[in-house]
Amino acid sequence: MKRISKKAIALTMAGALALAACGGDDGGTDAPSTEAPSTEAPTTDAPTDTEAPADTEAPAAEAWAVNTDDCVDPDAANAPIEGSIKIGSAMPLSGGVAATAFAPVKDGFEAYVQWANENKILGDVTIEVQIEDDQYNKDLTPGAVEKLLDSGAHVFSGIIGSPNNAAVRDLLNEECYPQLLALTGSPEWGKAEEYPWTTGILIPYTVEARAYAALIKSQFPDGANVGVFVVNNEFGQVYAEAFKEIAPEFGITIVDEQTIEATDSAPPTAQVNSIASNAPDAILAVPLGAGCATFLGEVANAKAANAGWDPQVFITATCASSLILDLAGPAADGLYTSNNLVDVLDPETAAIPAIAEYIAFMEGLGKGDIVTTAGAGWHTAEMTVAILKQALESPEGLTRASIINAARNFDQVGTLTREGVRMKMNGLTDQFIAESLQVVQYDADTRLFTDIGELITDFES
Amino acid sequence: MWKIKEGSPQHWALRLVGVAVIFIAVIWVPTQMSTSRVGQFSDAFVLIVAAMSLNLVLGFTGMISIGHSAFFGLGGYTAAILIKDHGWSPGYTFYAAAAVAFVAGCVIALPALRIKGIYLALVTLAVAVLFPVLVKWKKLVWLTDGAKGIDSVRYDDLPVWPIIGELKGRDGRAVFAYWLAFVVLVITYLVCRGIVKSRFGRSLVAIRDNETAAAVMGVNVTAAKVLVFGISASLCATAGVLSTLRTGVITPEGQYVTLLGSIVFLLIMVVGGAGTLWGPIVGGLVYVWLDNTTRGFGSESDGFIGFLFGWADQSPATLILGVALVLIMFLAPYGLVGLFKRLWVKAVVVIPRPAGTPVAVQMAAETVAGDLR
Repeated sequence: MKRISKKAIALTMAGALALAACGGDDGGTDAPSTEAPSTEAPTTDAPTDTEAPADTEAPAAEAWAVNTDDCVDPDAANAPIEGSIKIGSAMPLSGGVAATAFAPVKDGFEAYVQWANENKILGDVTIEVQIEDDQYNKDLTPGAVEKLLDSGAHVFSGIIGSPNNAAVRDLLNEECYPQLLALTGSPEWGKAEEYPWTTGILIPYTVEARAYAALIKSQFPDGANVGVFVVNNEFGQVYAEAFKEIAPEFGITIVDEQTIEATDSAPPTAQVNSIASNAPDAILAVPLGAGCATFLGEVANAKAANAGWDPQVFITATCASSLILDLAGPAADGLYTSNNLVDVLDPETAAIPAIAEYIAFMEGLGKGDIVTTAGAGWHTAEMTVAILKQALESPEGLTRASIINAARNFDQVGTLTREGVRMKMNGLTDQFIAESLQVVQYDADTRLFTDIGELITDFES
Repeated sequence: MWKIKEGSPQHWALRLVGVAVIFIAVIWVPTQMSTSRVGQFSDAFVLIVAAMSLNLVLGFTGMISIGHSAFFGLGGYTAAILIKDHGWSPGYTFYAAAAVAFVAGCVIALPALRIKGIYLALVTLAVAVLFPVLVKWKKLVWLTDGAKGIDSVRYDDLPVWPIIGELKGRDGRAVFAYWLAFVVLVITYLVCRGIVKSRFGRSLVAIRDNETAAAVMGVNVTAAKVLVFGISASLCATAGVLSTLRTGVITPEGQYVTLLGSIVFLLIMVVGGAGTLWGPIVGGLVYVWLDNTTRGFGSESDGFIGFLFGWADQSPATLILGVALVLIMFLAPYGLVGLFKRLWVKAVVVIPRPAGTPVAVQMAAETVAGDLR
């Protein structure tokens, strides 16, 4: 009898699972409809968007507006936010290397919000910020975001990591909470039709890869052999795929492709030697964090061992910090990289009043030692508050819907953006806020970057 | 000290109270707690299922496995591929993932027939390290999407369950995820309990305690090891499916898919109590509670914690979690369930029945009497 009852319970449970199985998905989608007004410009996917020349911008007779009909609670999405607004985010604050690298982003983000409140950027509306720790683990991000929702967050901004953002994208779009300025360069954040409530802030990897390809072509008009070295994760894979796809267009032949695991702290000796054995004209490198320095060190060793081989090195913008490149020492000299923010360690730049104010404010908070690494957090918070301000000043006032509408119809510059760089989005026509970049070359002696050519704005739609 | 006989009304009453407390707690969580708390319980259930599966091979059979993160990942990827590429309804993927992992588990168990202890640990370690690399392998990118992983893996429309009814929005999804994880947890518990209390389970314990003696006593060691490893792998795969459906994303960099996942499962099992059925359950709940609490220190560095760790550049969460776990193991070397049992017997002693049922005792007595005649 006892056995039978246990089997019965087990069967009941299995039956319950079968019921779960019967729940339909069957190709349906819960993503809120993003039907744009009929006057809307045509849709552009991420790759197309990044390729669109500036003069193709369609005149938008009517600004893009999100459709809240399919929200779980449309009234809440359009309800006015008064008194204070809470920004939520999830970042790695503990748990290893990622925390060390990204903790200053939190400090920069919070510092700007403090500055904005002190200067009443939103008038009488107080900005609150709550940043939860997800340890760069996408399995922890939904819990962190749910906690923030329970605590009354109105808007999310600056969540770090592609999988982390992807892990809450469906949830936030279904609930109609703005997921602003994801701190990753994945082209995934340019899918306004599928995910109207989600946007990114970094230059898409696809854009960066194209900028380097163009420079390689200008340096090697007859065609170039290029070795590719990437970190073996989502970042590296997307980057490498983008570069390989456009390589023929720029007369580039990829002669070798090597990878390194993100967790591998050993220098990539074998990989660089493999690339060196093909003697490419240039190397496109997409390492991560401290891997930037070890890669450059190995390239220097390989150059010393292969007399006459002196490739141009193009390295991802995530390495474009003198703090990281200092670790490589002379091995970093002459490399090409890119950015769209200023280098605050450059004395000329640091003397600009707005930037001097930023540095002074951070020093006032006792965070003067992280002014470079905190810059991404400051910039993200500044753009977030600018979006909120635009929403506040809109006819609808400050609502969740007006915030995402403001984000997708946005055109501003930030304290830390380079001269000429505009942070702008335009409905479905331009779905990436940052597409202008400057290719720079690093001088290891002065620890400064020199501009190469003009600011590239061709990718702005 | 309160002494009660096994099977007595007092004993049954005590059991009933235990069941009632659990029942009320299980109902209380999704009906009375905040959505984020419900989500934390779902997360805990996922880890508990994984730790239970590990307990079956390590706690009860003595086969050291550090490769269960691979089975977890295998389950998650099976579900993601079937849902995204083949349009399967998510619920059916539990069965498919369990079947695929069962086969994989049996194959991986083959080396376990010739090696044990630290050597087996190394083989399973290799499995854990190899899995993410395999997923990112260029020749498998067509299937796994490589390092990018697979996203938007979820129930588009939540199934309508009896009693629970129709669920909508994030609250509904959280409640659904909770009940789904709970059902899988109960099934896993029943499977583990059924095995442990069965003849097969006793043969596993015999293998753990003395493999040679078990073989001499007639235990088919080969079959038992392969079978239990396969079952364990399939249970762990269901945890992987749950995790993927909870986040909607699976990537080879995901914490529980990498070696770190195996360590977490092992930690939960040991903290709760290895070789006990309730150990992983208690360990999982305590681990998730501790993890969430300590991570909170990262965002709120004021107060006492701020005073203690204000000097640190980053959050002290990991440090505090580590110290807390070390303290638990110091105070409860046999796990929290072991500690509970030790304290419980000081308050209540359950006097077991005499061996054998009354009928068996009578038959034995008659046999002895017959022999004497």
